[in-house]
Amino acid sequence: MKKTKNKKDQAPQKPILTISKLHKRYNEGKPNEVHALQGVELTVRKGDMMAIMGSSGCGKTTLLNMIGHLDRRSSGEIIIDGVDTSTLSDGQMTAFRRDNIGFIFQLFNLFPFLTAVEDVETPLLLRGINSGLAREQAKMMLRELGMGDRLYHLPTELSGGQQQRVAVARALINQPAIILGDEPTGDLDSTTSSDIMDLFRRINKTNQQTLVLVTHNRWIAEKCDYIVHMTDGKISRIEDNPLAKEEKKR
Amino acid sequence: MIAWRSLSRRKTKNLSAVLAVTLGVTLLVGIQITTDTLGNAFLTSLLQSEGEVDLRVTNSTRGGYLGTADQESIEELVPDAVGVMPELSTQIPALVSSQFDPKMEAAGVPVDYPDAFGKFYNWKTGEQMDIKILLEANKSILLSSKQAEKLDLNQDTTLPLSLDTEFTNLTIAVTINATSGLPIITPVQELLTVELQIVGFFDSKRPGIGSQYSGAIFRLEHLQEWISLQDPMRETDIVSAFLVAYKTDHFALEIDEDYLRTKVELLEETIPEEVNPQTSKTQKIYQVTSTRLDFFGFAAFFITIMGTILTSLGFLIMLTGVLLITNVQLMSVEDREFQTGVLRAVGSSRGGVFQSMIIENLFQGIIGGVLGLFGGLAFGQAVALYLVALFGTGELSVQPVVSQEAVILSVIIGVVLSIVTGILPALRASRVNVVEALRGIKVKFKEKSSRNLAAFGVLIIIVGLVLLLYNGVFEETHQVFWSSEGWDSLEEWRMLMMGFGFFIGGLGLVLSRFMDRVKAFNITAITLWAFPSILFVVALGNWVTDITGFSTEILILGIIEIVIGSIMFVALNLPIIMRGLRNVLIKIRGVKGVGQISPALISSHITRSTLTFAIFAIILTLNVLVATLIPTNLGAVTQIEEDSKGVDFAVFLSKPEAIIPGTSFSDELYKIDDRIADVIGFKTFQPNLDFAKFIALEDPLSSEFDSSTDLLPIGTGEFKPGQIRGNASDYSNPNWRYAFYLDGFPDGVRESLVSDPSDDDLLDLSKKAWDQFFDPKYNMAVYNVSSALLAVFTGEIELSDLELGSAGPGVTLAVDPLEGVEPLRDVSGNLVENPIVFTDSFLLPVGLQIWIPMNTSSLGFPVYQAFTIGGSLDSQRAGGFPLGAGLGFGGGEPDFSAILGTLYLPEHWAVKTNFLGEANGQTLTSRGKDQYDSFLIKTNLPIDDPQLEGIAQAIEEFTNTNDEGYRLLTTDNFFLASSVLIYSRIQSTLEMMDRITSFLQIYVTFGLAIGAVGMGVISVRNVSERKREIGMMRAIGFPRSQVILSVLLELVVLGIIGLLIGVINGLLVSMGFANMQNTALVIPWEELGLYLSFIVLIALGSGSIPALAASRIPPAEALRYVG
Ligand SMILES: Nc1ncnc2c1ncn2[C@@H]1O[C@H](COP(=O)(O)OP(=O)(O)OP(=O)(O)O)[C@@H](O)[C@H]1O
Ligand SMILES: [Mg+2]
Repeated sequence: MKKTKNKKDQAPQKPILTISKLHKRYNEGKPNEVHALQGVELTVRKGDMMAIMGSSGCGKTTLLNMIGHLDRRSSGEIIIDGVDTSTLSDGQMTAFRRDNIGFIFQLFNLFPFLTAVEDVETPLLLRGINSGLAREQAKMMLRELGMGDRLYHLPTELSGGQQQRVAVARALINQPAIILGDEPTGDLDSTTSSDIMDLFRRINKTNQQTLVLVTHNRWIAEKCDYIVHMTDGKISRIEDNPLAKEEKKR
Repeated sequence: MIAWRSLSRRKTKNLSAVLAVTLGVTLLVGIQITTDTLGNAFLTSLLQSEGEVDLRVTNSTRGGYLGTADQESIEELVPDAVGVMPELSTQIPALVSSQFDPKMEAAGVPVDYPDAFGKFYNWKTGEQMDIKILLEANKSILLSSKQAEKLDLNQDTTLPLSLDTEFTNLTIAVTINATSGLPIITPVQELLTVELQIVGFFDSKRPGIGSQYSGAIFRLEHLQEWISLQDPMRETDIVSAFLVAYKTDHFALEIDEDYLRTKVELLEETIPEEVNPQTSKTQKIYQVTSTRLDFFGFAAFFITIMGTILTSLGFLIMLTGVLLITNVQLMSVEDREFQTGVLRAVGSSRGGVFQSMIIENLFQGIIGGVLGLFGGLAFGQAVALYLVALFGTGELSVQPVVSQEAVILSVIIGVVLSIVTGILPALRASRVNVVEALRGIKVKFKEKSSRNLAAFGVLIIIVGLVLLLYNGVFEETHQVFWSSEGWDSLEEWRMLMMGFGFFIGGLGLVLSRFMDRVKAFNITAITLWAFPSILFVVALGNWVTDITGFSTEILILGIIEIVIGSIMFVALNLPIIMRGLRNVLIKIRGVKGVGQISPALISSHITRSTLTFAIFAIILTLNVLVATLIPTNLGAVTQIEEDSKGVDFAVFLSKPEAIIPGTSFSDELYKIDDRIADVIGFKTFQPNLDFAKFIALEDPLSSEFDSSTDLLPIGTGEFKPGQIRGNASDYSNPNWRYAFYLDGFPDGVRESLVSDPSDDDLLDLSKKAWDQFFDPKYNMAVYNVSSALLAVFTGEIELSDLELGSAGPGVTLAVDPLEGVEPLRDVSGNLVENPIVFTDSFLLPVGLQIWIPMNTSSLGFPVYQAFTIGGSLDSQRAGGFPLGAGLGFGGGEPDFSAILGTLYLPEHWAVKTNFLGEANGQTLTSRGKDQYDSFLIKTNLPIDDPQLEGIAQAIEEFTNTNDEGYRLLTTDNFFLASSVLIYSRIQSTLEMMDRITSFLQIYVTFGLAIGAVGMGVISVRNVSERKREIGMMRAIGFPRSQVILSVLLELVVLGIIGLLIGVINGLLVSMGFANMQNTALVIPWEELGLYLSFIVLIALGSGSIPALAASRIPPAEALRYVG
């Protein structure tokens, strides 16, 4: 809230994402019920680059799924870009997600039967963009990510880092307002990881796209504006990262 | 351990595998049962008419009688028989009110016949009938239920009921010649009209003696009295045959064929010989015939044909079952490669993985096998019910034949199949590269083949070459394939297709060593498809004009090659096709995303996709083929209609028209309806059991002549120039009245026959031939050909070996059948030449010498005139066919002699026979010059005009009403006209076709059901193993509807690929049959539309539920799913 003044030339940043009293219970009412999210309160502003950390099983993936509306919440409120998402139908939500949210998953990010360029252009096609144009944009995006020579490869023919870069390209292609990444650099070596983080920084800076990244890696988290710590389905602490913010201003 | 656990865990997957095996086994068992049942149904319907009779002992002279005294000696000859019974049989006309049957079977049986032959049972009550009391009076008769129905009577008709008939009464008048003083003996024949009393109906559908008689039953002594009237000596001790039964209850348990054959052969040997006083030749005193044995032979023959068709069809359909099982098994591996990788990574041995999969398979196989057994039994039962409708025979109704061995075998095959198809994938799984499996890498198909494979290819090429060279080189009767004669028979094509198939397959393997596999196999696929296509599209009907010899399996071989070739081709090019589809779809608004996903999914699982559309491709090829048969044949029949040259219907009188001064039957017909434009009268004559009317196949005066084998009961008819040529004076004049086509021609005409003649060529030659036929001075040489039937009579060949049609009309046209055949010469070296006759009998080849009884000598013996068969009427085109007695005209059942066909004489000779024309102008059977009995009628209405029915009916009414119309005109109520509309004949042919095709349809439809279920199984599994992808689709913004659409689109596309292959192949094959019949292929658009909707419905139906369910899963949930 105090961070508003840090932005110099922009209008005061309104929150792009507001979460309040968010609860998620798996297997609700059954003996094996898991209370994965226990009243999460979180506000993310447009252009923020945020990291979520926490021990395994604390509910990070669950939270991302809630934000992306890939799963039903048990209770609570999520407001994205001023829209209370509980008012949207499934179809509206899907379109909303298509246009505003990009995903990068923890594992197996790509369609095994599509080539890199096909995978990346799919979100564009879904928006009804001309197929030739979509192909061009997808190629451009992949080239930008250093994948220019792997355009027609299937996921099985790509290394883990390359696959992840294709996934990033697909998440970015629609220029979504929010990008959700669940350990996007999970099984990558440090050089590749840092390449991808640099990439994230760059798009965050130039396009004002908001990034929410889950990571176990302190070093990765430190590249973000601030770090949200989770324990047992709750946000326990928000750690500011002035270093990263400084860098961003430059 | 792992196997059991995975069995219980992976419920849908196991269920689908079990379902696949179940269906496969159902198919195997069902088709086995159906084929057996059909055979049994056919045999039952044949044997029904024989009751308990195993064989008949008759006079060794055809048409001669035996006497009561023979009973004892015959009983001595058959010591093992359980019953021997005398029987006198004849045919008599029967008139009940206005219903008339010109040839009712009449049999005299002793009232104390042996129990072995069964009992007569009352049609209505089912009670046993006491024939001793019922047949007390000499005018009392029993009528079979079959005959009763024929005469329009039913169970409730009040009895007794009178039935009018006629018996010949022959008396001898002796006068003294006034000048010479010698006695003149004049035989006087008159017809005695007798009013018989029907005192009971017996059930002729009941096993036992009832089924053996289809007409009227007299007490033996009474019929003997009636028949003895035609003998001036009034001899009453006459018996037609002694019936012998070797066992009782043939219906419960049929007699063993081999046992009966030995009995018959033994009996034939032991019959004593005697010297015939007329020919002074020794001959057996009795003749033995066993219709039952003939039936066995005929049934075997028929079942072989049907069996071949059904087995081949069944094989193709079963192939779909195999594909289904394989497909499901293969899926198991694909989706388990990952787990296998994990298992192997944690240290499971290769054998362990293999074992666990085999246990799973075994379990699926056995459960599927047991379920399939029940399914198959139910299927067999259903088909049997249908067969009952087809061969419906009352109490003798068809029971499904479940032969234990066959069923057990089918189940074993199914189970083994499921295990074998499981082993390959299991092997693949156990060999799986751990790293690749974990990363989900699919084996690529682009690399080149190994040397081993290429060597194997060379081997196959050699096999192919050997097969190709078989024709002409190893098998002398076939011609080599590099000559054009090497391509003109189906037998040659068998080897050509097999050889070429192997050759091309091997070539593909070899080429794949040196070039891209896909390209190499593409070559194989295209040629494999194209080669038999040439047979169907080009060769059949053009090069190959003869498809007799029942070479159905060769055609099936062709179909299999076409199907495999086309499926292979599409499979190899599936990625290209799918890329094309994608490029189209992603340009269309609203399906862009789906267009990106579905085609890619299809080409990423080529094997699975191929197996899916292959099922439909095979089934629909058969479906389209079967569906095209009817309309195409309709085309063939309408061709006949065109050839009928304006004749709309035919009218047949039960006996020659009466001679009425100042008018004739034809004249009267013109008066009935002024739309009748032309009436062409013909004389025909069907012999009954009077040996004077048999033609001889050997000179009756020669010592070679054997009356037991050389006499043939065949119909006779007459052709006059006016009936054929109208007012045309020569053959080139177009003004012919009725252009009968020939397909066998006399000397001088036959030689100008070209191969593959057009209809016009044939008509031209036919007209030339008619000119020779009508020329009384024309004689034709006799050739050294023999009648196939003669060979059957003499036992040289079995009836079942008879190649129907090979010598018959409408089949072999291309070459001169007598080329290279020696003409016969007499002892002094002169050509033997005779006047010519034409025939529509398929048994009498052109060039054969026959003897026709012309007249009866004063001693009562016939005088024979030798003829050469100079031509055969073409029953396929016009000609022969409106008259052809063998085609079931004139109502009632065709009798044996009618089936054998008719010989036609020119008027010059016809008037000299005492049954066709005036012999002496006195005898009862002689006919006036213009005394006709068959009439072809032309009207000025089109052939399919429904009003024709009315005209025909008016003619029947005019003739068939007692004491009115024609009956009044002739003061004779024994006239009966029956009419046959040419068009209705076409329809009845179609109905028969319809029955057969609908039977085949059962088969192919079952295949379609398999396809449907298979698709369901596949879609369930597709969806369940692609949950993750579906989650991802939802995550990146695919709406729920698009997710469903993508699942459905995949299935619809696969279904439609199968449909397209099936339609193209089916039409291709049908084209061959259409060419064969010289008609245009009729495309059954309606059915095709039906198949299309069916396929789409199946795809939508089987895909929508799993797709809907999958789209409902929250994406987060779906994304969690791995493998
Ligand atoms: N579908 C589910 N059904 C039941 N419980 C679930 C489900 N998904 C997650 N959980 C439970 O919810 C809790 C939070 O899971 P989540 O996947 O969000 O953890 P995470 O923080 O992402 O862990 P990690 O860092 O290991 O990925 C865990 O205890 C997990 O067991
Ligand atoms: Mg997680």
